[in-house]
Amino acid sequence: MAHVAGGASNNRAVARMTTLTVSSPANVRDHVRDASARGTALRIVGAGTWLDAGRPVRAVESLSTHGLSGIVDYVPGDLTLTALAGTSLAEIRQEAGKHNQWLALDPHGAEAGTLGATISTASAGPVVTAFGTPRDLVLGIEFVTGTGSVARAGGRVVKNVAGFDLTRLMTGSWGTLAVITEATVRLHACPQVDETIAVTIAGDAASVDQTRQLLRRLAFTPYACEVLSAPLAADAVGRNEPIVLFRMAGNMESVAAQRAALIELGEPFDVSPEAWTTLRAAEPPGAIVFRLSRHPSEIGTTWEEASRIVEGISGALLHATLARGVVRCIVPNASENVARLAIALANPVQSKRIGERLPEQLWAAAFPSRAMVGIGGRLKQAFDPRGVLNPGILGDPK
Amino acid sequence: MAASPTVSHSASPPASLIDQSLADRLAAIVGARRVLYRPSELLTYTADALPSYFKQPALAVFPGTRDEAVAVVRELAARGVPFVPRGAGTGLSGGALADGIVLVGLNRLTRVISVDPDNMTATVEPGVVNVALSRAVAAYGLHYAPDPSSQAACTIGGNVAENAGGPHCLKYGVTTNHILALEVILPSGEIVTLGGVDGENEGFDLVGSFVGSEGCFGIALAITVRLSRNPEAVRTLLADFMSIDAAAQTVSAIVATGIIPAALEMIDQATIRAVESSIYAAGYPTDAAAALLIELDGALAGLEHDVETVATHCRANGARTVRIARDEVERTRLWQGRKKAFGAMGRVSSHLVVQDAVVPRTKLPEVLAEIHNIGQRQRVKVCNVFHAGDGNLHPNIAYDASDADETARVHVAMREIMTLCVDAGGTITGEHGVGLDKLPYMDLIFSPDSLAAMCTLREVFDPERRSNPGKVVPVHACREWHMSPAARPTIGRSRA
Repeated sequence: MAHVAGGASNNRAVARMTTLTVSSPANVRDHVRDASARGTALRIVGAGTWLDAGRPVRAVESLSTHGLSGIVDYVPGDLTLTALAGTSLAEIRQEAGKHNQWLALDPHGAEAGTLGATISTASAGPVVTAFGTPRDLVLGIEFVTGTGSVARAGGRVVKNVAGFDLTRLMTGSWGTLAVITEATVRLHACPQVDETIAVTIAGDAASVDQTRQLLRRLAFTPYACEVLSAPLAADAVGRNEPIVLFRMAGNMESVAAQRAALIELGEPFDVSPEAWTTLRAAEPPGAIVFRLSRHPSEIGTTWEEASRIVEGISGALLHATLARGVVRCIVPNASENVARLAIALANPVQSKRIGERLPEQLWAAAFPSRAMVGIGGRLKQAFDPRGVLNPGILGDPK
Repeated sequence: MAASPTVSHSASPPASLIDQSLADRLAAIVGARRVLYRPSELLTYTADALPSYFKQPALAVFPGTRDEAVAVVRELAARGVPFVPRGAGTGLSGGALADGIVLVGLNRLTRVISVDPDNMTATVEPGVVNVALSRAVAAYGLHYAPDPSSQAACTIGGNVAENAGGPHCLKYGVTTNHILALEVILPSGEIVTLGGVDGENEGFDLVGSFVGSEGCFGIALAITVRLSRNPEAVRTLLADFMSIDAAAQTVSAIVATGIIPAALEMIDQATIRAVESSIYAAGYPTDAAAALLIELDGALAGLEHDVETVATHCRANGARTVRIARDEVERTRLWQGRKKAFGAMGRVSSHLVVQDAVVPRTKLPEVLAEIHNIGQRQRVKVCNVFHAGDGNLHPNIAYDASDADETARVHVAMREIMTLCVDAGGTITGEHGVGLDKLPYMDLIFSPDSLAAMCTLREVFDPERRSNPGKVVPVHACREWHMSPAARPTIGRSRA
């Protein structure tokens, strides 16, 4: 969820829309029913910090869940928390922190971003390495379908197989099937020691792959392990050279051993945990952001391909989540950069591509959607037959 | 919603859908030996591991290859015949029972298709036995983490259908956290690929939607799983307590430390005694009110420190003794008592109902106390052996099914226990699934609109609701197709 000052066309379009505000799930239901009856498409919005993410939405009005805010239930002993969709990640962090607990989700962008948006987009940041995506942390949701039906799935307990898994279906569906109004998430207790360490690497495919091989071999899983390109490392830790940023947690003995294991990459140096905050908010306003991925074992090649695509673009930043085989590319939004990317992406690209924030011409040219093909399209038709929820954001049913 | 009255599912299929011509056609696909329709041959398939339900399939067919499975499903689709997929039949919810329809057994599809040790994934056919998969990848220092107690017999396909759990799911997650991709044949005969391992997948979490669908969305032909590294070190502890309350408080204390045990199991006195008087005797103290079986694993560095922290919390909360297994033999023995507890209880009486519910962990003390009261009130013997770390209860009642009065009291007690767990903010099943057994409880936790949303999802995968009809979502919520008497099979019964 990035702080966006209005660089992208999507954002400006939403700003011009009539915004429907809500203060209860019943409001959401009424607005969706009304929109469905009128056949009026809605742009579903959380805090509005990430409006230029996803494909352009063909909507007339926007429905903001921002007013649907607050923690509904939190029993620290159960390590579960239930909050309304518009609750900010910052509020959850603050509340859980009082009990030495945390929600292991650190999506890119500002902490003002909402729980609902994080779940709807299945956004994950560096701690995905140890804790998985929202799909692994969301225990239950309440939602309003495209027909205005209010339903619940999952529950407030950590293990649950009662009924079909609508929680997983809705998580990452980008608000195209339903509007999430409330969610219960699993929390984790904070570790005894939580250290951030960096190691300088050469930054070529071989060094990235060497790091991955080490990660594969280690007897422990770090909370996070990201490769940062030199300019990004300059922002995050003040050294203008490629680095691997590790977050190591556990008891003192364990963290010391984890640190020692990194020696084969290079001499580890301590950095402030603020480096993660910088990384999460690295993209300049209106930046173009997309991800490339393959098998994790091919991360060296994927990194190389990403480097080639952004080669020569001033201000381009790259970082890779090794455990998932994903390289995230951040490019300042300027017309010459769009033109360069259009050419680079028109050449054969071996990696899978996922767009986060792109100008319209790049979406159309280089990021074909497969989400609404086959079963995806049937799901859209079944849950939102009038097509009123975020039409276009994941592509169109085929 | 697609579950609206405009969608008609009430039309009965023509009579005699399951007839000799179908049997002959299926025999042509899989071989005559692999098509069963005489009642005596079908006896094995009238129940799963839950001895409360018996349903007679009209016919059972056992494809031996992926292509045969595809051909079978397409033949059934062409004829509009409803069917139930089945793995090893170790389910505990009556989910794999076929009432007068076709049972498709997938236990012959046992091929490990590929293993990618570098990316820690494997692709297998649905009939691969859970523990056999771990054995197949052991040479790479890997294993498949979800470990239901039936892991020596249950299949990965069945695990996917049920979103199976197991003791080690506390740390490693349940089945759905370990499935990366699926090749599925929909009941219509269409083959679809869900998810993938060669990079991120944009769009809906179709894998997550399919896992736990209890055979209602089709049949997984190939399953790609995430493998886990074998831990460098494992420590297993047994702590015994003079009260259940103290054991339950210890569970919360351990979890609050931030240490996530690989497993955190509770065994009550009734279960301990059943185990200790069986061939699975594990050396559990028979005078303890409850014992906790706690396992910590991971990197060796720091592990002993965590073991000490856990042991300290046990003692601080009233543990009488804390025993740490000295070697693999002792560890295996401690686990055997837990894993074979149901078998041991089977010795106590002729029948055993194994219940499955989840409550918030902090509610464990009061819920366990109330379960005890229910047992006393209904004069039934409730044993508890369960995954305490995630609040997943398994109250079991051993009884004599030929005693009508006792059987009735068992059922009343079970219903009271389920209501208790729901009222405590819990759910009606944590890992066994809804199947037939939990159908009556679905209304307790889901509104009609929530159940209708589930039906909508099901209809995307199976618009005709031919795959495992009548399971998971109560009939009234989903307007399930009912087989009319005219449609009853003409095969099998006449030969009885």
